[in-house]
Amino acid sequence: MENSTPKLLNIKYLLCAAVLLFYTSAFAQLGKTLTPDVVLVQYAGSIGYGSIGAGYDVFKNKRGNLDFVYGYVPRSKGGILHIITTKFAYRPFKINLGENFTLYPVNPGVFFSYHLGDEFALSRDHEYFEKGYYWWSTALRSHLSFSNELKINTAELLHDKGIKNVSLYSEFNTNDLYLVSWYKNQETMSITDIFKVGVGVRMAF
Amino acid sequence: MQKFTLLLFTLFILTACGKFEYSPNQAFDENTPRNINEININRILSTPGDDTIRFVLSGDSQRSYDSDVKFVELVNQTPNVDFVVLDGDISDFGLLQEYKWIDEIYKKLKVPYVGVIGNHDYQGNGEKIYENIYGAKNFSFIYHGLKFVCHDTNSLENYNDGTTPDINWLQTQFDDPNVSGFVPIGHVPPFSAEFDRKLEEPYKNILNGPKLICALYAHVGKTDTYHPYEEAAPYITTGGLDNRQYMIIEIVNGKLNTKVVKY
Repeated sequence: MENSTPKLLNIKYLLCAAVLLFYTSAFAQLGKTLTPDVVLVQYAGSIGYGSIGAGYDVFKNKRGNLDFVYGYVPRSKGGILHIITTKFAYRPFKINLGENFTLYPVNPGVFFSYHLGDEFALSRDHEYFEKGYYWWSTALRSHLSFSNELKINTAELLHDKGIKNVSLYSEFNTNDLYLVSWYKNQETMSITDIFKVGVGVRMAF
Repeated sequence: MQKFTLLLFTLFILTACGKFEYSPNQAFDENTPRNINEININRILSTPGDDTIRFVLSGDSQRSYDSDVKFVELVNQTPNVDFVVLDGDISDFGLLQEYKWIDEIYKKLKVPYVGVIGNHDYQGNGEKIYENIYGAKNFSFIYHGLKFVCHDTNSLENYNDGTTPDINWLQTQFDDPNVSGFVPIGHVPPFSAEFDRKLEEPYKNILNGPKLICALYAHVGKTDTYHPYEEAAPYITTGGLDNRQYMIIEIVNGKLNTKVVKY
């Protein structure tokens, strides 16, 4: 019996190694498709004081973005808040401004922000609160967005192929609760009252 | 490049307008009002007034900005109002922007106002935002010999943990022999389902006494007068601004007069 233990262990090791090898190669393949097309940093825009993220070009025409972003609000700016956001936007219009500049003037989108932390919850504790009384989630906000983006062909301009292009953007957004607030108060509120703004930079590799 | 200039110009304007938001749940931003209650109580105390104490009891301004604007216009046309109480559910969702919208409307009142915390003001980060903007959740002031005891009665938002209302704090407030009368003000009335049943008895024992003039609340959505503990002094709830209702309350030599305004 004592002799069989190392043998069994050997088989286990072999199996483990085989499994590891399989997963490594599988993830290497997957890794290629999972490598983001862009990285981004953003200031404000309702998803953090500062936020960083990675994004993918979607659709064949590469006019769509799918971004995954982490945002942080420090205590000195009204936090501490940690926010995870998923963004989707589409660029229907394109204006060429010379050889190396492209303007996407109005890009509609939606995004969903999730606030981490004890103050925020997806739904209320129904042991205490009647279902439907607080009908919204405090953690999850749905946003509507419009951005404009100026894409600079840095690869050409800087003769550096490391970064394909750099985009500067500003993004206006509102959320479900602001929209509800505005909808019933149109005598005294303007739609511009409920839009907030952020600015950011996207870099494509 | 004209369009590019236009884009930069737009960005500049936006920056100037301060429309950058870090989160709807942020606890404050650079133009958040602070310490409204303390500042406004000082204003109330510095007005000479007269024998008649006349103030407005309003509540449930939550997500009713059109109505709130109208309310401020009406109160500004009402003569001899000493101050206004905003008795909870200032906000609907506990968001900073809501609190700021409400203060922008209420600060157009000719007279000072104080804000009391409501259950909706606890939502999300709302409790912290209330404290940043208005100050402590329990506070009091003495005006012409009357003590206005504004306090947090939102038991359920604190999971009925025995802290809310703060019985010890209330006891010290009511142990005051130098005042001629007491006017406690909270958002959730003690006979409401959202009030901690275990605290109802000690609560009413503190409030009820010969010097109680009236106890004022909002929350229930209608204007009504109750005598739930067979006391002489009434427990009053005001209908909310969300239902286009408020009350004018007048106290002359300890005698109470109330008027309901529906608009």
